[in-house]
Amino acid sequence: MGGGTNPAALEPMNKENINPDPGFAEASDAKLGALLRASRVSPELPPRFHEGVWRRIEKAAAPAKSNGGIAWLDALAALVLRPRLALATAAVLMVAGALLGVRDGNQMAHQDAQARYLAAVAPHSLR
Amino acid sequence: MNRSLVILLGALVLCAALLGGSYAVSRHVCQSCMSKSVSDLDWLQQEFHLSDAELARIQKLHEGYLPKCAEMCAKIAAKKSELETALGGTTNVNPVAQQKLAELAALRAQCQAQMLQHFTEVSQTMPPEQGRRYLAEMQRLTLGFHEQTEQTMSGSMGHEHHH
Repeated sequence: MGGGTNPAALEPMNKENINPDPGFAEASDAKLGALLRASRVSPELPPRFHEGVWRRIEKAAAPAKSNGGIAWLDALAALVLRPRLALATAAVLMVAGALLGVRDGNQMAHQDAQARYLAAVAPHSLR
Repeated sequence: MNRSLVILLGALVLCAALLGGSYAVSRHVCQSCMSKSVSDLDWLQQEFHLSDAELARIQKLHEGYLPKCAEMCAKIAAKKSELETALGGTTNVNPVAQQKLAELAALRAQCQAQMLQHFTEVSQTMPPEQGRRYLAEMQRLTLGFHEQTEQTMSGSMGHEHHH
């Protein structure tokens, strides 16, 4: 027991070695920081660097613009694919086509009948 | 984007096919149905709203006129054949060909006069307003062609004279 080291005797010495004065430590940290900053080499920007950056930004923004077009087309395609709407459109188109066909068919039949009558009463050699 | 575009284009094509298909089918069906039992006089009845009695009277006139018309057509065809024979192998219009041309023209004029007489008789069996319309329409359809040709010819002649 008598040969052991007294920890209390060592304590002031340790404190002195690690952090003898807080003010001095802060000042040396700042000096060290400044020294490190000064030693760091900051390369010069390449020519037209800013222009290049803006160009890249614009390029990145461009697809966002066309995305709006895609969304519009997608919405229209989704609308077209709705079964009710598709069926209604098909029905309307078929009815419209049939009505137009009946109208034109009537006209053509009428013209045929007129041509038949004319051919009977007025041969081509007289017309 | 491609998928949506394909869907929309497909829908458009389908719409066009539906419209065109239904149009073509209904036109064909309608035309063939209406032309099925058509006689020579059906157009008259439809166009001039004739009653059955009026149509029966016109039918009688029509049947009386057709043999005369066929006879005149045969005479015209024979005269045309004579004219071709007279013109055959010659490079100029000889007196015989000239005479045949005059006879052909006279026959055509006689046939046209007979045709116009028939139109007049038919128009008189119709109600007055319809009769007038029928006569005007038949004159336009049968004599209008010559007028159109003559107008075109005189127009082109006048054009040449200006130059």
